[in-house]
Amino acid sequence: MAVIEGRDLVKDYGGMKALDRVSITVNEGDFFGFFGPNGAGKTTLIRILTGQLEPSSGSATVMGVDVVKEPMRVKELIGIVPEVESPPTYLTAYEYLYFVGKVRKLDKLEDRIDKWLSFFDLLEKKGTICKDMSKGMRQKVMLASAFIHEPKMLFLDEPFINLDPIYQRQLREYLEGFVEKGGTVFMASHILEISERLCNRLAIVNLGKVVAEGRIEDLLREGENLERLFLRSVGLKAIGGDPTRKTS
Amino acid sequence: MLKEEFRTHSSYSGKQRFLTFPLFVLILSFFSGLTLERMTVQVPLEQMGVFANLSSFLYGLSVGAFGVMGREYLERRHGASNYLVAMPYLLPLSFRTTFIGIYLRDAVFYILLMLAPATIGLALAAPIAGFHLTSIGLLFIAVLLSFMFGLSLSFMASVVYIRNVPAFLGITAAIAALFVTHSFFGVPALDVMVPSLGFQMNVRPFGDDYGTALLYAAAVAVATTVFTLLAFVLVQVRINIASRMHEDLLPRIYGHVGFMKGLNRTLIAKEFLDLRRSGTIAKMFFSFVLPLLFLSFTTWYVNYGLAIPVGFNAVFYAAMVGFVGVMMYSWLNNVDLAEYYSLLPVTVPQLIKIRILVFLFLTLGISTFFVVAISILNGETELLWLALIVMFITSLYTVVMTAYLTGLKTNTFLFDTSVLMRFSVLSFFPDLCLTILSFSLLADWVIAVAGIALVLVMLSVATVLFFRGIDMKWDRTPFAA
Repeated sequence: MAVIEGRDLVKDYGGMKALDRVSITVNEGDFFGFFGPNGAGKTTLIRILTGQLEPSSGSATVMGVDVVKEPMRVKELIGIVPEVESPPTYLTAYEYLYFVGKVRKLDKLEDRIDKWLSFFDLLEKKGTICKDMSKGMRQKVMLASAFIHEPKMLFLDEPFINLDPIYQRQLREYLEGFVEKGGTVFMASHILEISERLCNRLAIVNLGKVVAEGRIEDLLREGENLERLFLRSVGLKAIGGDPTRKTS
Repeated sequence: MLKEEFRTHSSYSGKQRFLTFPLFVLILSFFSGLTLERMTVQVPLEQMGVFANLSSFLYGLSVGAFGVMGREYLERRHGASNYLVAMPYLLPLSFRTTFIGIYLRDAVFYILLMLAPATIGLALAAPIAGFHLTSIGLLFIAVLLSFMFGLSLSFMASVVYIRNVPAFLGITAAIAALFVTHSFFGVPALDVMVPSLGFQMNVRPFGDDYGTALLYAAAVAVATTVFTLLAFVLVQVRINIASRMHEDLLPRIYGHVGFMKGLNRTLIAKEFLDLRRSGTIAKMFFSFVLPLLFLSFTTWYVNYGLAIPVGFNAVFYAAMVGFVGVMMYSWLNNVDLAEYYSLLPVTVPQLIKIRILVFLFLTLGISTFFVVAISILNGETELLWLALIVMFITSLYTVVMTAYLTGLKTNTFLFDTSVLMRFSVLSFFPDLCLTILSFSLLADWVIAVAGIALVLVMLSVATVLFFRGIDMKWDRTPFAA
């Protein structure tokens, strides 16, 4: 069943088309990877699909809800991790999760907060306000705030950035479990090695247009890995190394 | 840095719209120049000179507060923007050099934005209005000195604030005490406190004692240099500020605002916590109370110091207090970024309305105090009931109208000429009506009160319409740019 359907989405920033008639379909239970060079339109599409930004034209639904007509309903249903980690400057991690929990009207809030502070090892830094945190800690706070209401769908824009290898692994395992339980993930990332392990379907966008979409195994040629597929799709040759080597 | 400042301002409203702001100032100044002769019938030219210089001094004071903001520039990410002020992190450039660079940048930028176009407007009007170009040139020098004096004083005070809050409060109290002493005893003289006034009053068209004028100019130049050097020496060079541990206060504040329900309760609790942690309350208090003190002083000075029978009474003062409040709303929008709200089921209008409420919580107590105080000082306690109603309705109208026009980016949109024009018209006409009617209170009490009541009813209706319009206007606006 399709849980994300975008049709002919266009986003025009004063003459510069960030998205040019992008259509995309994501099914329930997919771990969907969305890749592209810098400035290709990945973040713009995520912001449109999550009700943060209106498209110039086109339509999209997320979990059956029209993102243009009911953006607040979409935000109630999903969890979002933005590209730039930007929690409130003057709140502690606990307070931000408390704030998010109250906004989302969550029950058993203390239990949920404890769970996610423990999961990301933020309990030791209890009492530190976000502006005094490292980038990695802020990223953990953003992840925890996206997971706390246990949504069925996650939109993640560079979720692994700033995390150390320990928490990259922990997050990867959590996301794998999340999808196994029926959740859906829509993820933009430049970390192709991790993405290749996680994603079952993908789309590659270049200059605002989708240039490849489908199941990863259908798109990869013999002996090709995701990096090679990416470079081929955006019309670039691999630089150095062995581009045919497929990561395990 | 100048280009960066220009691009920051013009990025919100567009380059052309932003550039029309100085043009707007120039045109306004031009027409003021043309009607100057008529205006002098009501207000003597000398008083206009005093007000021009004091306004320029206050303008400098408000611009110079970036000494406080400077650290926040460094500590807080500005969305996806990085500013040159963060360069000491990245380049072999000393923090002091960068900071003095910002000081000079702000001085040049705001002179070009306001003082220069205002002077050019007057100069263009000079051949028609018949006043001498030399007078315009000397006026420009005087207001420039006043501006730089205010800027350097504020710059120094804000640097002191970062280092030592009690010392900052001491300086502020000392300055306030000087003005209060002047109000009651006439000493120290105004030109001693703001020496550029002495320069202004000794050159044409007010006087021709150029020797004395030069002494005043030298005094203000020395004071400006000393303040700037003090700020340069005292500015906190340590960039990595030690992080403090904080108690988790949000649940407690949430408990205290039980009179609110649902989402509003959560949002207002967070707003109060932000104000507390960011230290903005102190800055807001300063930026609200200072103009009120100035207004109180002006009201008192015109009535008793100059003994000009223009009828500045408590009702006039209350209307002014209401219109001064816009700065407080602007502060509320500068406490923190709002990008993270876009990840949550919260809309821009919901946050705007909460900030209006926070504004009312913060200002009504202080405003009431000032209106009551000025009523007692002026011996007009019989007008207090009317003054309080005027203050309350104009405060509410001003903040709701400002919120409707500027949303969550008040500082930015007020530099957009089309918004500024609407803001000016919507502020000026009610203010003018209330001023005229308040002056008429002693002459014809019944008609004046009836007129004031009519204006207040209209303002109340407008307030309701603007408040409802906030949803329509800002509902589709994203939190993030």
